Amino acid sequence: MKKFLKWAAIVVGLLAVMGFIGFLWFIPPFSLVPPAEFSKPLIAAAPSTSDITDDAERMLAERGKYILIVHDCSGCHTPLGDQGPKYDEYLAGGGKGVFKGYGTFTSRNLTPDKETGLARRTDEQVNRVLRSGLLPEGRIAYHRDMPWAVYSNWTEEDRHAVLVYLRHLKPIRHNIPPDVEGTAGADPVALETLFGSDNAIH
Amino acid sequence: MKQFHVAVVLLCVVLAGTASSLAGEVSLGRTLYEARCVQCHGKEGKGNGPASTFLTPRPRDFTSGTFKFRSTESGGIPTDEDIVRSIGNGLHGTSMPDWGAFVGKDSLLALASYVKTFSPRFSRETPKPIKTGPTVPLSPASIAAGEKVYKKLECASCHGNDGRCNDAIAADFVDDWGYKIAATNLAEPWTFRGGRAPEDIYLRFMTGIDGTPMPSFAGSASDREMRDLANYVTSLARKPAWSMTAEELTAFYASLDKAAKSNPVERGRYLASSIGCAACHTPMRQDGTMMEELKFAGGQRWDLFPFANVVSYNLTSDKETGLGNWTDDQLKAFLTTGVRRDGSRMIPYPMPWPALAHLTADDLSAIVAYLRTIPPVHNAIPEPATPGVFTYLWGKFRVLILKEDIPIKAYAGNAGVAAQKEVQP
Repeated sequence: MKKFLKWAAIVVGLLAVMGFIGFLWFIPPFSLVPPAEFSKPLIAAAPSTSDITDDAERMLAERGKYILIVHDCSGCHTPLGDQGPKYDEYLAGGGKGVFKGYGTFTSRNLTPDKETGLARRTDEQVNRVLRSGLLPEGRIAYHRDMPWAVYSNWTEEDRHAVLVYLRHLKPIRHNIPPDVEGTAGADPVALETLFGSDNAIH
Repeated sequence: MKQFHVAVVLLCVVLAGTASSLAGEVSLGRTLYEARCVQCHGKEGKGNGPASTFLTPRPRDFTSGTFKFRSTESGGIPTDEDIVRSIGNGLHGTSMPDWGAFVGKDSLLALASYVKTFSPRFSRETPKPIKTGPTVPLSPASIAAGEKVYKKLECASCHGNDGRCNDAIAADFVDDWGYKIAATNLAEPWTFRGGRAPEDIYLRFMTGIDGTPMPSFAGSASDREMRDLANYVTSLARKPAWSMTAEELTAFYASLDKAAKSNPVERGRYLASSIGCAACHTPMRQDGTMMEELKFAGGQRWDLFPFANVVSYNLTSDKETGLGNWTDDQLKAFLTTGVRRDGSRMIPYPMPWPALAHLTADDLSAIVAYLRTIPPVHNAIPEPATPGVFTYLWGKFRVLILKEDIPIKAYAGNAGVAAQKEVQP
């Protein structure tokens, strides 16, 4: 009987260890998840424009939505949780990047929240960021953090369409910490280090 | 005699004062320049800062002393006021913002003084402002007269009969720095770099846009005719999308779709430039600038621990090391699902394939069509370095159980093998 218990304990122990290894190996089971599972939520999370009553405004917003999705604004501006991007906080900001010689920056809240989001900014202020990287505080954003240099290639009309759509997002209160200029990452060789999210703001 | 001495001393004091205030202005300008301007114009003013690679048009190279927007004779240096105007108002339709909204006139003057130190032309030459005649108010008569001048000066050969470049004879322009540029679409005044007022447009005819194929037309027509022409160009403006009605927008977007379908390479170029393929698929130097000779040739190394250590792929049409031997379907599958030719998978970051999956079929084909036109550059990209089983498990343990934030890192240098020419015999 004792011998049986001993063996049973070993088997259970082995199963537990294997299970744990299996858990680490497969969860999150990236290689088993079909690609569409990663791409579908991006379109599901973007609010529909069908409730905009003005036809012209809706068409502009629709074009802006397409541009915003394929340029993956959400990739940096939707906060990350344990299970990947928190799409219920779509574009509410919080992604953190450390750039050697430039600073530590947190992606900003793009939703039209009055206190923490883009409702505080005029069209011209937002356009300046998208066109020139010139932030409302007068500093130029680092182009590898916020890739304004590539977005500057948008035509003025496409940029305006993006802005119309941003104004239409669901406002989410999410306070973003101020940028810190001129810090270096922990790795002295890496030029940039990107962290999933800044836990300090939650 | 004594009076003479006093005069000399006074003169010296005045001169020294001017010199030191100029030096102070330059040093303030330098401080501002290094804080705000170097990302595009570069520390040495050569227009080659870290972000310059992605900008169309490219940032100005101040060392050449060639300035586009002036009130001075063609080929000459600009006045201080010209430089201040460009910095203060910005250059519309480009990344150059209107700094006047952020800094005062003193700072703008200081910046202009510092910008002038990059070129020896400013110490050798004096600006020669052009002589301008009286302005002519906008009127149907003046516009009609201007249309005749448009024909007389053959503006249509570059700008097209309707000013929209559609039926232009000349295209494929290159500026003095070797970059591809296009003739301005005169129906879109919000992209007129130096401003859309008739006075601004008039100055472009009279002074030319130095460094570009736009010459000065001073002397080719009377001053009055130039004023009429400026009024005519003003009248060519179309309605911008943000002022259109729903019907107009429908027609406008249909025209854009039609243009994209008839020229997919150009549409692909537009998307590839704004999505920023080159930002990752070009190696960086230690100072953050991009290695332009390897633009699109890949070689930027990313550490995605606990996933594979990857090097961005060579997107040029090189058959051996680039996309030359990929079929359109293989490319489209990778762009939209992250599945490589060998069936291996890419995690959804940093290559944003989950976002690209939402490109319309036409846009996806356009991007592929554009990638095909990138001239081949040999740069052999190493296979992704997958971590060992135990390293992988340890990484997962840190992420899932210890809840660590493991940073993704990008490194400088070309991690590909481009050095064919440098191989010693």
